Amino acid sequence: MEPVTLTLMIGVGLAGAIAFIAGIIEDAESDAGSASNPNSQVQLAPQIGHIIRYYDKAIAGEPPQNGLWAAAACTIALLVSWRFVDLGIGQYYAIFFAAVVGAAIICLVQGCFGVFAHLSRMGSFAPFKQPLYWDSLLTPLPYSMGLAFLTALLLTLLAFVTGGLLGNPFAPPLLALIFGISLGSIASGTGDIQYGAERLYQHHIFGAGIPVSKMGDIDLKGEYGFRNSVDTPYFCIRLGGTVTAFAFGLIIFLDGWTRLFTFAGVWTSVILEAIVVAVLFIFLVWLEKFTRDSYGPYPGQEDL
Amino acid sequence: MDPITAMIGIIIGGVIVGICVHFIPASAVGAMSASTGIATGPSMLSTGCGLAGLYAAGFSITLGLPITVVSGALGSALMIICTMLLANVICAFGTGVAPVAGTYDKDPITGWRQKPFMSPGTDGHSMPTATAVSGIIGALLGGAGGSLVFASVYGMLTSPAVVAISPKVAAISPATAITIAGMIAAGVFLLNCVLPAYVLVGKTEGMTDPKMKKLPKTLISCTVASVFIGIFIYIAVVVI
Repeated sequence: MEPVTLTLMIGVGLAGAIAFIAGIIEDAESDAGSASNPNSQVQLAPQIGHIIRYYDKAIAGEPPQNGLWAAAACTIALLVSWRFVDLGIGQYYAIFFAAVVGAAIICLVQGCFGVFAHLSRMGSFAPFKQPLYWDSLLTPLPYSMGLAFLTALLLTLLAFVTGGLLGNPFAPPLLALIFGISLGSIASGTGDIQYGAERLYQHHIFGAGIPVSKMGDIDLKGEYGFRNSVDTPYFCIRLGGTVTAFAFGLIIFLDGWTRLFTFAGVWTSVILEAIVVAVLFIFLVWLEKFTRDSYGPYPGQEDL
Repeated sequence: MDPITAMIGIIIGGVIVGICVHFIPASAVGAMSASTGIATGPSMLSTGCGLAGLYAAGFSITLGLPITVVSGALGSALMIICTMLLANVICAFGTGVAPVAGTYDKDPITGWRQKPFMSPGTDGHSMPTATAVSGIIGALLGGAGGSLVFASVYGMLTSPAVVAISPKVAAISPATAITIAGMIAAGVFLLNCVLPAYVLVGKTEGMTDPKMKKLPKTLISCTVASVFIGIFIYIAVVVI
């Protein structure tokens, strides 16, 4: 096997694996901070008289927020890694340690962001008699910061792997921005459905979407005591987190995988990607048929 | 690439990016399985999808314009199909609902009835076949548009005509030129994907949605924004 192909194969596998883990962590981070679309339900709850103990740091969309963390961490990492190389540390060690430094700084920034976002959110609920519970902020905060650290670290490493081993010509900070925004929109579009439609509404019947008239009527009691934001990723990581990870990991892995072959010259990757898209579309139609056959129509709606 | 052609490429690419948002099914209340579409805002989803295309296009930038544009389009399509498929998986096994569209009674492609499978009080959930096809078309358009902007800016920065007259542009290394072009393309996504939000108001089901009739408004706003960007980049690279 040619060394170039071997490097590419290692790069594809490593990028896919890092992307997979980043997907799980990012989804958990957004669930812990109610950072994506289900935050609308957390905000509605005090308005209909529910006193909540959720940590709510949703003052920016999940994709730009995540893109900012990743791009900032990667920029710091790139600058610090040059300094480490000047100090005589080997290139790969320099990148890894610099990525940790970048992610640690971003973790602190995310903590400040989270504290002020939560305080301002809860402050805006004052007309609805929602108190500011310190435990609802201080319990999930270190957890959320830890998840932000891991997300920023993994996306920084992913940017260096795709730039270094796979040969993407973009600078690592731009790659990190691209991955951050893409992963944010994927996590917001896949994993958060389980948070918004199931975890927040576990006292509602399973097997139906949440009617608009019920919105805001979220769960207030947890497995023990009041429901808080540390409980949420514990539940959502099992399906929502892994499915998000699968989506992001699959994109990075398949995109790299199509570049391992050369049977049709420069058009090989394009042909293979078109085939992959077609195969996944067939899966999508099959899944639709499977769910329709398995669940059947809603009672009383068979003749609509 | 000739600078004027590159500027026209930036404008056309920007307009295509704006159009793509209308095709990609997305809805914020989809996060509660209360309407059809991927469970996030159309603007941010289209941006994420287009940036995934840009990542794919980056690999092909030195191989020419056609391969860059097609690579970008298929990179975006890969992102959107993975997201739609796995969003349907979450809806099927996490929420227990089947994909249903709110804007049509029978799926135009499969012919399957929609209303009996729609949970009471909602406008649909996840992505049925016709909606998914619309998403793929949108992603192909968005990826192609963004890659066209990317390739055009790169073409302008490496154009022999520009390099001959501008020592500052000539001093830019190819790797830096690629990153500058990528940043501008990412900026075009962030701008032109947000403009249609004013007519989509947070929710669209793609090509079957009645909001497609408002496409001309998007077209005008994106054309104006893209002309500004195109002229600005032309002035920045060629004139100054």
